[in-house]
Parts: sequence; C-alpha cells; structure tokens
Amino acid sequence: MTKNKVQRIVAVILVIASIALAVLGFVNLPKREAAEGQKILTDLRIRTLLNATGDGVVESYVAIAKKDATAAAKAAGGGMSAIREAVAKAEEETRAKYSNATTDYAALDTSALEAAVAEDEVRLKAYYTAAYVAEQAYIDEHMAEAEAAAAAEREAKIAAGEDVPAEETITVDMSGFVATEEMTGLLAKADQAYEPVGAALQGIYPVLDASALSTLKGTIQDIVYQQGDDFTVQYDRYMAAGSGAALENPVSAFLVRYADDLLYGALALLVCAAVVLFYELLARKLGIPRIIIGLFFILLCFMSLWYDLSLSTLLSNTLVRMGMNSIMVLAMVPGIQCGISLNLGLPIGLVAGLIGGLMTIELGIPGWGGFLFAILVGIVIAAVCGWMYGHLLNRLKGEEMSVTTYVGFSIVSLMCIAWLVLPFTSLKLRWPLGTGLRNTIGLDGTNFRHILDDLLAFQIGDFVVPTGLLLFMLVCCFLVWLFTRSKTGVAMSAVGNNPRFAEATGINVDKMRLVGTVLSTVLGAVGILVYSQSYGFMQLYTAPRQMGFIAASAILIGGASTSRCKISHVLIGTFLFQGVLTLGMPVANMLVPGSTISETLRILISNGIILYALTKSGGESRA
Amino acid sequence: MRKTDVRTFLRNNAVTIMFVALCLVCMVYSGQSIPYVMYELFGRLSRNAFIVLALIIPIVAGMGINFAITIGAMAAQIACLWVIEWGVSGLPGLLLAAGMSVPIAAFFGFLIGKLLNKMKGQEMIGGLILGYFANGLYQLLFLFIFGNLIPLKAPGLVIKGSVGVANTIDLSTERGFKYALDGLWRVDFGTGLYIVCGVLALATIVSMLLKKSNVKRGAITLVGLAACCGLYQIPAVSGLFAMVQVPMATFLVVGALCLFNLGLMKTRIGQQFRAVGQNRTVANASGINVDRVRVIAIVISTVLASWGQLIFVQNMGSFQTYGAHEQVGLYAGAAILVGGASIRRATNSQALLGCILFHLLFIVAPSAGKNLFGDAAIGEYFRVFISYGVIALALVMHAWSGIQKKKNPAEALRN
Repeated sequence: MTKNKVQRIVAVILVIASIALAVLGFVNLPKREAAEGQKILTDLRIRTLLNATGDGVVESYVAIAKKDATAAAKAAGGGMSAIREAVAKAEEETRAKYSNATTDYAALDTSALEAAVAEDEVRLKAYYTAAYVAEQAYIDEHMAEAEAAAAAEREAKIAAGEDVPAEETITVDMSGFVATEEMTGLLAKADQAYEPVGAALQGIYPVLDASALSTLKGTIQDIVYQQGDDFTVQYDRYMAAGSGAALENPVSAFLVRYADDLLYGALALLVCAAVVLFYELLARKLGIPRIIIGLFFILLCFMSLWYDLSLSTLLSNTLVRMGMNSIMVLAMVPGIQCGISLNLGLPIGLVAGLIGGLMTIELGIPGWGGFLFAILVGIVIAAVCGWMYGHLLNRLKGEEMSVTTYVGFSIVSLMCIAWLVLPFTSLKLRWPLGTGLRNTIGLDGTNFRHILDDLLAFQIGDFVVPTGLLLFMLVCCFLVWLFTRSKTGVAMSAVGNNPRFAEATGINVDKMRLVGTVLSTVLGAVGILVYSQSYGFMQLYTAPRQMGFIAASAILIGGASTSRCKISHVLIGTFLFQGVLTLGMPVANMLVPGSTISETLRILISNGIILYALTKSGGESRA
Repeated sequence: MRKTDVRTFLRNNAVTIMFVALCLVCMVYSGQSIPYVMYELFGRLSRNAFIVLALIIPIVAGMGINFAITIGAMAAQIACLWVIEWGVSGLPGLLLAAGMSVPIAAFFGFLIGKLLNKMKGQEMIGGLILGYFANGLYQLLFLFIFGNLIPLKAPGLVIKGSVGVANTIDLSTERGFKYALDGLWRVDFGTGLYIVCGVLALATIVSMLLKKSNVKRGAITLVGLAACCGLYQIPAVSGLFAMVQVPMATFLVVGALCLFNLGLMKTRIGQQFRAVGQNRTVANASGINVDRVRVIAIVISTVLASWGQLIFVQNMGSFQTYGAHEQVGLYAGAAILVGGASIRRATNSQALLGCILFHLLFIVAPSAGKNLFGDAAIGEYFRVFISYGVIALALVMHAWSGIQKKKNPAEALRN
C-alpha cells in the first residue's frame, strides 16, 4: 500500500466519522427544547430535589430524636451532663440510621411533585427574566456614574502615587438596586407555587414539617431554576449534584447534552481529513511549523467552543492584538530584506517611541495632535539611533544576530537608568514620592488611549471591529510594500539576497543596509506607540526587552526565514501568534485553573520558532 | 617595555582595565569597609567560580560562550528537588544530587550539542534562545508534572492551593544540604593562605626536583609565595581579611576543575577541541569528526555547569524554583569576558580574574549608585547594564577584529 493510499483511506475514515457525528448532532440538537429534553431535565431535577430533601429529612429525624432524648433524660431526672450525653448519643444513632438508609426511588410516586415543580419552574423563570431586565436597566442607567467614579479613583491613585492596575472592568454598585413592583409580584407568585411543591414533598417524606420546608425553600428553588439557566447549564448542575442515576437512558441524554459539541467535533474531523489529504501540498506551501501552529490555533478554537467560551469575543480580541502588534512585526521586514537578518535590536526603536509618548504626556498635548507628535518625536529619535546602529552593524557583517540581541539588551538596561534620572515632571509619569518614572504609565482620555482602536469602530454582536487600528496597520503594510517596490527597495532586497552580486552591480551595500536598519528602527518606534495606545499603558524599564523576540517569532511563524520575507508573512504570522496567545489563555485556564500555562506557551512557541529558523539558516555541512 | 607593546597590551586588555578602574571608582564611592567587601567577595567567589570555569571548554572548541549552561543549572535543580524529596541530607545528599545531575545534564548537553551543530556560526544566539525555550519546558515540568502527575511528599515542596512546586526550595531544613560542601572545612583567611602557599611551594619544589620546570621560575614562585605570607604578617593587611572565612573544600573543588581544564587540553580530545576551535574546515580535512567533538564539548560544559549550580545552591541555602537558573548564563558569560577572555580564547586565570572583578562590582555598585545618585536602584540597573554591555562589547570587538583581519570586502561579505 502506498503512502498516498493510506492517506486517502485515513481521510475517508475521518470524513465518515465526521458525517456520523454531524448526523448525531443534528438529530439530537433540536431535542433539547422538545419533549425528550424536557423529560431528561425533569427526571434529573426530581432526583436532585429528592436527594436534597433527603438530607433535610435526616435533619428532621435528628431534631425529633434529640427532643425525645432530652425529654426522656429530663424525665429520668438526670443532670445537665446526662442530658447532653443522651442527646449526643441519640443524634449519632439517628444520623447513622438514616444517612445510610437508601431510598428506593423507583417505588416513589412523584407525579404530584412533577406537576408542582413544573409550575414552580415557570413562575421562577418569569421572575428571573423580569429581574434580569430590571437589573440591566439599572446598570445602563448608572453606568456613566460608575465610570466617572472609576476615573476619579484612578486620578486619586495617580495623585497618591500608587500603581494603577493594568486591566480593569467597571462594575456598577448594585447596593442601591430596589426590586420593581413587577418583580415583587412575580416573586410572590413563585412563592405561592412553592407551596404545592412543599405539599408534594410532605406526601413523600411525611416527617418534614413546616419549618423544615421553609429551611429547604432556598435550596429547592435554586435547584428548580436559577438566573440564566438553559438546558446545558441545568444538565451540568444536576449531573454535578450526582443525579445521573435517575436517567432512563444516559447515553441518549449525553448525546442531547453534547449535541453542539458533536457538531464542532464533526467540523474538526473534516479539517483533519482535509489536512491528511492535502498534507504534501500544505507542507510544501506553508512549511511544517506553520501547519503545526495553524492546526494548534484551530484546535484552540474548537476547545473554546467545547468549553462554551465566547469565540467571537476571543476572535475580536485576537484582531485587536494583531493590530497592536503588527507594526512591530512589520519592523522586521526591512531588517530581513536588507540583510541584517532578524533585527533583535528592535528595543532601540521601541525606546525611541516610548520617549515620544512620554514627551506628549509631559507637554499635555491631547488627542490626535498628541499621538502624531509622539510618533514624530519617536521617528526622529529612532532615525538618529538607527543610523548609528546601522553603522555599527555595517562593521559586523555576518555576526548581526548575537550582537543585535546584546546591544538591544544593553540599551534597555541603560534606559532603565535613564527612566530613573530623566527630568520629566508630570505627576502622571513620576512617582510622587521617590525618584524616577512609573513602571507602567496609564494613558487616559486626555492622551491617546485607544485613539486608533476607537476610530470608526463598530460592533457585530460580540465581535468588535477596531477599524482605525486595522486601517492603520494596512496603510503601514501598504507603504512598506510600496517602498520594497521602489528603486531603493529593490536594491535593498538585492543586498539582502546576495550581497556580492549587489556589490558587483554597483549597489552601495553599506548604504542599503543603513537604509534598512533605520527603517526598521523607525517602524519599531511607531509600533510601540500603536501597541501602547491599544493596550492603554506605556511600559517602561525591562518591558521592551523581550518584544524584539516576540516580533521576530511572529514573522517567522508567518513563514519568513532569516533572509527572506514578505508583507503577507507579517499579517499571517501576527494573526496566528496572537490568536494562539489570546485563545490559549482562557482555554488553559479551563484546563488548569489559575495557572501560568499560557505564559509558558508563549515562551515555548516564540523561542521554538526562532530556534527552528536558526537551524534552517546554517550548519548544513559537517565542518 | 616599548611604546607599541604598551599600546598592544592596552588594546588587548581594554575591557579588563576598564573594569578594574570601574571597580576602584565604585569601591571608593560605595563607602563600604574593605573587610566587609572581602568577606562578600570570598563568599561570592566560592559559589560562582565553578560555573564560570565551566564555560572554558566550549570557547576553546570554537562555540563561543555557552549560554545554554542555564540548562545545566536546570538539571542540577531537578536533581536537587528529588534529593530533598527523598530526604537525603548533608554531604551524601550533595553527592547524590551531583551524581544524579550527571546523566540528566549529559543527556541535555547531548541534545544541545546536536541542535547547535545545526546552527554553526550562530551558537551563542542559538544557546541563548535555547535557554529561554528550555525555561518554558522547565516550567511545564515544575508546574504541571512534578507535584501534580508525580506527587511530592516532602514538606514545603508543594504549597496547598497553588499549582506545581513551591516558588522557593529551601535547603536549610534537616532534609536539605545547605553548606554540605562549604561547611566541611572552613578556616580563617590566614590559615587558608598558609595552606595554599604551602601546597603550591611543595608542588613547585617537587617539579623542580623532577626537573620538569625551570629553576629560575620556580624560585620566583617560591619568593612570591613567601612574600604573600610575609605581607599577611603586617596587621594592616591581615586586618582587611579579618572577616573572611574560607570554605577550603569548595575552593579545592574549584582548583580541581582548573587542573581538569588544564589536563584535558593536553589529551587527545583536548587537542581536537583546539583544532576544531581554530578552523572547522581544516579539522574536518584532517580527519576529526567535528560534530562529535562539538557535542562532547557541550556535554562536558553542561555537566560542569550543573555541578556549579549545585555548589551555588548549597552555599545560598535556598533557591528560586523558577528563577535561579535564568541569569546563570548571563552572569557567567559576562564574568569570563571581564577577565579578558574573548569568545575564541579563554583560560582558567581569565575566568577567575573575571569572576573576582565582576562580583566585586556586584558588591559595590548598588551602594556606590546610592551615594553618587541618591538611588540604590541606579546601581542595580547599572550592574545589569554592565553585564549585558560587557557581552555586547566583547562581541562587537571580536567581530571587529575578525573583519579587520580579512580586509578583503568580498570575503567579509561572504561570511
């Protein structure tokens, strides 16, 4: 059997499996709202109720036994210690007797309970729906207030010299919320509906008295219906409570519960089949690392669906992060094309951009003027530094990578000292007590926070499109593309591809490398400003150190090598890399809660791809 | 000395001379007393010298500074974790950890060597990024495998409610091996000096008697040693070392490594290291399996680095599980370059001198920064800057001199 045949067979098997899953999914998905789904839920709900009430029943027996024991001990004329002893003994015995007693569920007649619970559920649902609407209205009404309060708090923190948290969600204080009349009316009706439920329970467990029933009320109502319940949530809740035994047909119930995931699985298998079938073509066109990372990205998409995470929100975040990182990745393009390989000295440009941003805040230039001023200052500083840096690199042909890395590191740590001593005065930048600039500088409405993100942004459902950011990214890419098509750009690529040939055709190699280095550094300066406006914070000190590596790995993931790259590599690479990171974090948190596994993931991917590119760049011979 | 000689000497040792000056300036401004600085310096020297010496062989083999020694340090920390888990304390614990880290580090070294063979000419950047990459794997191992999939029972290794191995691993408990090596034989500075001088004098006399070395040089050495002991008799001099306690066993191990480095270079494989380091093509043509020799160099370096890290942690008494290995390559690399080594040539004495100077600066820079600029943070950042800056400078100088040699532009471009 040839390899080709095996591929085909595997693909066909995968497709068949996929079709089977899809059929199962499509058959079972509508059952959720149909009678079958309701039957499953009812069975589970009644069992959960009975279990929960069973605990209450034990407590009731214990209470009765305690009372009897006390009375008996008193009647026998015992002292306090004798009473205590008797009560403890009675409690222990009763608990042992009833806790282990198993109820024969099949023998119970639950029809009355079922009817009562169904009624109760309808009432509770009505109440919670009304409550949700009222609460949303309250939140909408008070959102502006909460935002103003949060902004004031931030100002106060800045003035007091405390660190401002990087990410914050504004929450409305719900303590002032008063239930509407509609809600109280519905709640009263729901409470009324509870009475038949209680009566039905008493019919099953005669020992339950009125006080026990009122104690159990909250528990039972929480079992019957909670805010935001749907089929899957209720199913999971009842299963977690250990009521699975009540199901007549656990397999079909399982299929109904996971019908949507079956559909996703079908889609995933189709993707697998396509990959298996066209593996050679893909490997040739994309290269193995890109296939691995692409598949990993798709896998993360499916996993986020599996864990019921909002994929559209995550993809929207991916788009934002792609936009904010893209210019820094774009900065790699001139570097690679002019032959200095990956510009790991990118922090030089980043620091220049940061200085521009700091000056804008120091001078208090608001809005677009401030952003453009920051870019302008950043470009000027970056151009000067890049020019000097380019001269250095021209003397070090062939050793660029290790030198650029350590020169970048040195510049970052030198700037750490500079951030401590630079004479900025604005309190937004400095620690009011102590010396030096803050670690993270929060941007706000008066600076350029989200100035590109919010430009022409619009929303489709959960999916926010940061139009301005994407436009800026595309314009920058287009400009760089135009440049590579110009006479200088073509000459630059020639230098990168084959310096000796370029030299022979009369191109000034050193000059072209200088142009590429300056351009790369300048793009780095613009890139960090775009990144900061979207992130909402400027990070100083050691933060820029690793950014060169992140940008380099993104373009390598996109398919570039250390000597060749295209604009498309920037876009694909940034999207894939940022996509994997954005989706990876919530999915990893579902797998291992509270872990830093996504950070580990970033380290592995980013450094792994650079290592891969390095192994491709040299060392083919034994010598 | 003629004028040109002075100039050559200055140019060849620019980094070291600059560093000596820097250390002197910082020492003057730091305001710390010399006995305290000496005390700190000997402590730091005893725990850091070994790992710096581990860098020499790859440099000789032409692979530059082996920044992947961080992976050797990781191997040592894995061994450490298990020795504590098993509760083997004291010297047996240290020896067990050293024995355990040999196969682990050798295996890692083998993989590193294989990978670096695929990126000849880019070994340093490759080793650096490989170190970062391995750090990711190390985190996976310590966060999700040890303590979760493989349960750990020793108290303090896993903290309830958090994922993975605890942030700090403590060696000072009865299960650990703090000071297992240092505590074996500790003497004050004078005794240590007499012992070392005595041993050296004996060695010189023996080699003179066996007619292996020049009588004149031997005599000079003897006089020098006697002068050292004589100087120490002056109370002002001995007062400077009053606080110093010398962990003789540790320094003996360091000395043994120096002898190992020297001896290895005289063997067949040592000659092969040198041949490969000078020119791979020529070495290959003369029948040396270049790839194999390079792998051996990295394996030796990684194993030595793991022992170096063990010496470091037994002196410190605890280590940061997720951070103790991160800066190992940087600091060791910077130290050896400060001592006057280049990325093509390094000797034991350069490594030791570099270690002394680099750590001297580490001791005095923060307080000098505080006294000069009113902020200790400046000194902290300054020494980080120095670490990176020294490496950058050494790389620039090396590349520069390499290109100066081949004046031919076409030749320079091809490389």
